[in-house]
Amino acid sequence: MRMEPRDETSLMATLARKNAVLEGINRIFHEALTAPSLEALGRVCLRVAEDVTGASFSFMGEIDRATDLLDEIAISERGWAAFEAAKSDWPQGEVPTGLTIHGLYGRVLREGKALIFNDAATHDDRIGTPAGHPPLESFLGVPLHQNGAVLGMVGLGNRPGGFRDEDLAAAEELAPAIVQALHSKRAEMALRDSEEQRRLTLELVPAMLWRVDLAGLRIASNQQWHAITGQTDEQASNGGWMELIHPSEAGKVSRAFRRAYAAGEPVTVQCRVRQAEGGYRAVLIRQVPVRDGAGQITHWFGAATDISDMHSLEERQRVLVAELQHRVRNILTVVRSVFARTVEGSESLEDVADHFRGRLDALARTQVSATLNASGTVDLENLIRDELLSVGVSDGPGLIMAGPDVALPADAVELLGLAIHELATNALKFGAFRAPGGSLSIAWDVNVDGRSARRLDLSWTEQGVPAVPIQPTRQGFGTELIEEALPYRLGAETRLEFRGGGVRCTIGLPLGGDEEGA
Amino acid sequence: MPGRLAGKRILVVEDEYFIASDLRRALDAEQAVVVGPVSSLAAGLELAEREGIAAALLDVNLEGDSSLAIADRLAARGIRFVFVTGYDAWALPDAYRHVPRIAKPFAVSTVLAALDQLLAPEDVP
Repeated sequence: MRMEPRDETSLMATLARKNAVLEGINRIFHEALTAPSLEALGRVCLRVAEDVTGASFSFMGEIDRATDLLDEIAISERGWAAFEAAKSDWPQGEVPTGLTIHGLYGRVLREGKALIFNDAATHDDRIGTPAGHPPLESFLGVPLHQNGAVLGMVGLGNRPGGFRDEDLAAAEELAPAIVQALHSKRAEMALRDSEEQRRLTLELVPAMLWRVDLAGLRIASNQQWHAITGQTDEQASNGGWMELIHPSEAGKVSRAFRRAYAAGEPVTVQCRVRQAEGGYRAVLIRQVPVRDGAGQITHWFGAATDISDMHSLEERQRVLVAELQHRVRNILTVVRSVFARTVEGSESLEDVADHFRGRLDALARTQVSATLNASGTVDLENLIRDELLSVGVSDGPGLIMAGPDVALPADAVELLGLAIHELATNALKFGAFRAPGGSLSIAWDVNVDGRSARRLDLSWTEQGVPAVPIQPTRQGFGTELIEEALPYRLGAETRLEFRGGGVRCTIGLPLGGDEEGA
Repeated sequence: MPGRLAGKRILVVEDEYFIASDLRRALDAEQAVVVGPVSSLAAGLELAEREGIAAALLDVNLEGDSSLAIADRLAARGIRFVFVTGYDAWALPDAYRHVPRIAKPFAVSTVLAALDQLLAPEDVP
């Protein structure tokens, strides 16, 4: 800022202008601290630039290095007002981006120096103004430099009487301050972003995190310790957190930490921590020393992970595995017994193979249908139809089935399925499905007994079957199943008759639960 | 030659009919007197309480109920028992891990041998 004294008036004018520039720079740095965004800061800079140059409106933009197009950062308030006055349909407040670098402002950017065009309306390089842009009479463009490269510009328009050299000089003096202000705003915003990101990250990590200094002062890095235990940093400091450890584990935890502090080594310990709402949660605590350049421990960093859910899942898995094991072994034992009985009741190897295969298939079907839905219940009619289908019987004139929807409880499915299988096999070999005029009626209903317990009453009635001599050995397994196993296992009342006309079997099966159960 | 089980009253608690029936047959063949078999916790508890019993065979899972309460009642009366179960030792509470356990599926002879062992005079070296 070299001053060239001429006369007193000129000197005073120069001084006033320099003062205005300095004041402007001061304003820019001051506002840079509080401007909420880069655009807001840009508007402040433009207002200052307009004030010191006398321009009517202005814009500021920067070159996008990737596309070599100009993105405007801000348009001044006077600029928006001019747009408004010109009845522009340009959306207010929406700063244009992606502008081709050409025309008068293009020369400023390409040449990298401040230029005045007081003949903007007629200049050979003009490219005209977009619809709604106030008519451009004069133009002063000032490049914004950083490290020798042009990163953008300020464009000032329409100074009454045209722009003068001193306006250009003033704008050039402002430019470095503008660059600096934009730069710090960017850095501040990036820092704020990364601070926010760090804070969010710490909150999102599913662990309680803290630092503890050598004096025992503990400072939480996120809110989770406090959220779970209710302890403040002050309460947790100086070993205060130890008071929350389950009494039966306090000794173990305290020893582990004493050892770690003495040796300067990481510590890992599992224990239960008392929750604010009562009860304990299982946690895995880890704490590691943080050392300075000289290897001296400066503080410790700690983390506690809630492993209660994992513990209860493990427990649940243990129960499920045990249950599965129990079921598999039980069914194997049942299969074995069924096999032994089949062998006892059969006369030939083919007989054994035939009967055993049928029974094994029936068991398999009930296992499948019992696992089809989550509750383990099976629709009674489907169960019956499956068994009839397995001996090749579906709907026909000789078959009548009638009864309401019944969801059979899982524990009844296996034995009832086997019982229906035995009845169906018998009907196929000796009964209703074999005799030409034979018919079968399967009817069931759900009744409520005197103690309001639900009971399934099912009847299997064959008719039109000529009397055949019953071979007791053949009936062995089915009879035992219906007359002994159903009552023993399911508390059923059963009755099985081989009478003239065919088999009649009735089964009264407690369904358990009250009437809601179906 | 009649074995050690002959005439002995053996409680059988087992919810699967076929398994219970196999056990009963095997014990019948040894001329033991079968108490039960019963399939429910309630029935098992009642027999364990009032019947004269020399030894017991207990299924651990009875239609979803645990039979450990029956085990406790038998133990209180000084009656020895064997678990006949599909569970491994790890699935049982610690207090019962020392109880003789026959894993399903089992051979009947294994069960009889275990009972025989249980009823052997303890002072025999």
